[in-house]
Amino acid sequence: MQILEKTELKALKKARNLGPKKTISLLNKKGLTGRGGASFPTGKKWEFALKQKSKEKYVICNADEGEPGTFKDKFIMQKNPETLIEGILIASETIGAKQAYIYLRGEYENLKSKLEKTITKVIRKAKTKVNIEIILGAGAYVCGEETAIIKSIEGFRGQPYLKPPYPPVEGLYGKPTVINNVETLTAAAHAILLDNWNSLLRLFCISGDVTKPGVYELPAGIKLSEAMKLAKPKNPVKSVYFGCFGGCMPYKDIELTHDNICGEDCVSGSCTMIVVDNTRSIVDLAYVISKFFAYESCGKCTPCREGSVRILLLIKKIRQGKATAQDLNLLQELGEHIGQTSLCGLGQSCTNHILTSLKHFRKDFEKELR
Amino acid sequence: MKISLNNKNIEVDPGKSLLEICRENNINIPTLCYQEGLKPGGRCRVCLVEVDGKLVTSCTEKPKENSKIITNSEKVLKARKMNIELIMAGHITTCSIDKDAHDLCGMLEEIGLTGIRFEPIRKYKEDLGSSVVRNDNKCINCGRCIRTCAEIQAVYAIDFASRGYNEHVAPYCEHNLADVACIKCGQCILHCPVGAIHEREHLHEVMEVLKNKKKHVIVQTAPSIRAALGEEFGLEPGTLVTGKMVAALRKCGFDKVFDVNLGADMTIMEEASEFIKRFENGGPFPMITTCCPGWILMMEHFYPDLIKNNNMSTCKSPHEMLGMLTKSYYAKKANIDPKDIIVVSIMPCTAKKFESTRPELETGVDYVLTTREAAKLIRFNKIDFKNIKDENFDPALGIATGAGAIFGATGGVMEAALRTAYEFGNQKTLEKVEFNEIRGMDGIKEGTVKVKGKTIKFAVAHGGANNRKLLENKDKYHFIEMMACPGGCIGGGGQPPHISKDILKKRIKAIYKEESNMEFKKSHENPIVRKIYKEYLDHPLSEKAEKFLHTKYTKRSQF
Ligand code: SF4
Ligand code: SF4
Ligand code: SF4
Ligand code: FES
Repeated sequence: MQILEKTELKALKKARNLGPKKTISLLNKKGLTGRGGASFPTGKKWEFALKQKSKEKYVICNADEGEPGTFKDKFIMQKNPETLIEGILIASETIGAKQAYIYLRGEYENLKSKLEKTITKVIRKAKTKVNIEIILGAGAYVCGEETAIIKSIEGFRGQPYLKPPYPPVEGLYGKPTVINNVETLTAAAHAILLDNWNSLLRLFCISGDVTKPGVYELPAGIKLSEAMKLAKPKNPVKSVYFGCFGGCMPYKDIELTHDNICGEDCVSGSCTMIVVDNTRSIVDLAYVISKFFAYESCGKCTPCREGSVRILLLIKKIRQGKATAQDLNLLQELGEHIGQTSLCGLGQSCTNHILTSLKHFRKDFEKELR
Repeated sequence: MKISLNNKNIEVDPGKSLLEICRENNINIPTLCYQEGLKPGGRCRVCLVEVDGKLVTSCTEKPKENSKIITNSEKVLKARKMNIELIMAGHITTCSIDKDAHDLCGMLEEIGLTGIRFEPIRKYKEDLGSSVVRNDNKCINCGRCIRTCAEIQAVYAIDFASRGYNEHVAPYCEHNLADVACIKCGQCILHCPVGAIHEREHLHEVMEVLKNKKKHVIVQTAPSIRAALGEEFGLEPGTLVTGKMVAALRKCGFDKVFDVNLGADMTIMEEASEFIKRFENGGPFPMITTCCPGWILMMEHFYPDLIKNNNMSTCKSPHEMLGMLTKSYYAKKANIDPKDIIVVSIMPCTAKKFESTRPELETGVDYVLTTREAAKLIRFNKIDFKNIKDENFDPALGIATGAGAIFGATGGVMEAALRTAYEFGNQKTLEKVEFNEIRGMDGIKEGTVKVKGKTIKFAVAHGGANNRKLLENKDKYHFIEMMACPGGCIGGGGQPPHISKDILKKRIKAIYKEESNMEFKKSHENPIVRKIYKEYLDHPLSEKAEKFLHTKYTKRSQF
């Protein structure tokens, strides 16, 4: 796998030789984009931060991998932490940050001590002035959102705030801050060093009703059927969920590109696929996912805080066989409303699964009405 | 910058929020979490408008060149209504009598919300404090109380705890508000859009004693009540209602109506003498005023060194002084057993409720009612406040000077004290009594005056955040006035809600108008004050005065 190649500090050396500006243009040329879901060009992000005149700047590695069905950051941190840390050092030295943080998902506490040892080792070898500190999250899903990470590191409640200001201009402690996720920073080291670096390769996390779940490195644009061939579903596939927030689509053989997935009203996000076979009821899935979101809403804004629990209660009612067609309409209305009026990405996407499943699998819901 | 607002092209200031722009253009946008003077919250999502077809919250959004803004489309109205419905479903609607005062209830009709399709789910215990009571079952999580406490008061007593639908306002570590470092100022109350925070009411206790014929019940009203009480009855902010207030209270059954302004004059006598004494002894400076129990709590929680270094004056607050005099001096004169006297203070302030329970302070005050509670009492008695004929305070302890009157506004205590201290120190008449440099709404004000050839530097701060700021430079000054509430008592936590800077200014104007009507402008010229000293206390700072009119302070926890 490309992502597991060890760069042995050669990428850092090359970046030092190139200097910040050339490093950034190299990244732009190679076409590295953020792997967290937004696909923002990484070089551009660094460039914004580089341009800011400030004594203090920060780099944050987002390792708060909280999306259900996503486990590729963990995979990288276990199998290739050296290259990740090298990526963090490259980012820091490029934009001129002396302090970097790894914001580690609370549930990954078991990775912390090994990661710390690796940091010490790599930093010593790299002879860098950059300091890297691991900050353990406290278990909130919303802290995968970059502004919530900033608040959390600053010691406040991990709740998102409205951009602008964007972090590269004014981020952690009000200073220019680059936030990239684990996969992006690791890939940055590869992109700089490897001549034959393939920008199309992505890590896909496939789980659910398959016999071979796991992390797969596949080129973006691969057919869904090809991916399924590798993961080997147990039964005929009914639907694929693109994580909890991405929504679901009935199984069909599309090419896995951002646009194609969005064409199915879903969001591809972080290349997560949860496979659901024909033994399952979509209503059950809706219940589990709604429970997750009602629990994980940070509570800041009305539609997400009050709405997500209402969605959960409605689905509960449906499962109990007490709901009417009116309730189903209300579910739809709430789903659209929460998506349109919530403050942050969590709220805006937390009903994607309801809206897509109501669109494609309405019969599953109707069957359970009173 | 050009935008189109409801299909009209207009030129706008790019620095303003869409909400401000809409309001300037007379377009009404409902809001719940927005509050003038605080950072926008973006929480309630009721202020939605459409920008180029997308729903955004107008309180947080700045205009973009050539964008098309619609504030009244079907989509907007429907989304606002749904958010209100979601909020209402989580909000227990057992509103008390001042329902109209609540933003949320006020907007239901306009929004057109008739039925709620969801069941209530909140279940919290009421947080009963000595001054401030919180009911999370009513709370709609707008965060205005939290931002007020943090941004205006710099106390940080409350914040949100838990997440999702469990998110709720909580004092430090989920303790009761009474047990944490909250200064009981009640500013949070003034801005709650649903009445989920309010004062600890003592109205019913007072109504009980009023029925008791054996008790001689005396009410005393603070300087700032008369400038705000009218608002509760639909009068314009800034209407002075001294005479109506006295008449209405008498009608409610109080045996005597006294003016706390007299207590304020007493405070000045003591405080000015204390200052002159320090002046002659060369310190300790600065001396800091102690009329505001909110500030006292702030000092005890966060700046206890001021106690150790004797920076604090030892004077009780005016109504406590007057309460003590009522139960001793007046009781003797009127030949009533002090045990049969009940003193009720009407105060603009929730912290004064706590103050009257302080063990450090021998109190003469039995109950403290806020301005709002007084209004309720008047309403319960079905008194036509607007049309009632003016009456005067009872003369026994009811004559005050203009110096006492201005205590209600920020800078007033200092100004009154300086008038007397100047004459005590210099032994000559102060011709111009106005100290304009310490009037008005600036957060921190300062000035100088010459006493016996030496320059006295004084400063005034109001609002917790400004108090903290001024303390950073405290050593520059000899004399400092601190008030916990913005605007001083006029903007106290017990006053009619919906306070804006504009309303505060109008109330302050009313106070200075009251002053200008007064015969005496300096506390030591007050004939009753002179009489009290002559007949009872001897002179300021005498042993008796120390016993009745002074107090001490206690260091408290920071958390
Ligand atoms: S959308 Fe949800 S998670 Fe995001 S700010 Fe609102 S309540 Fe918090
Ligand atoms: S009473 Fe004052 S200090 Fe206490 S919570 Fe309210 S605003 Fe904060
Ligand atoms: S108590 Fe009132 S002001 Fe505070 S968050 Fe709740 S509704 Fe808002
Ligand atoms: S007033 Fe704008 S979100 Fe509450």
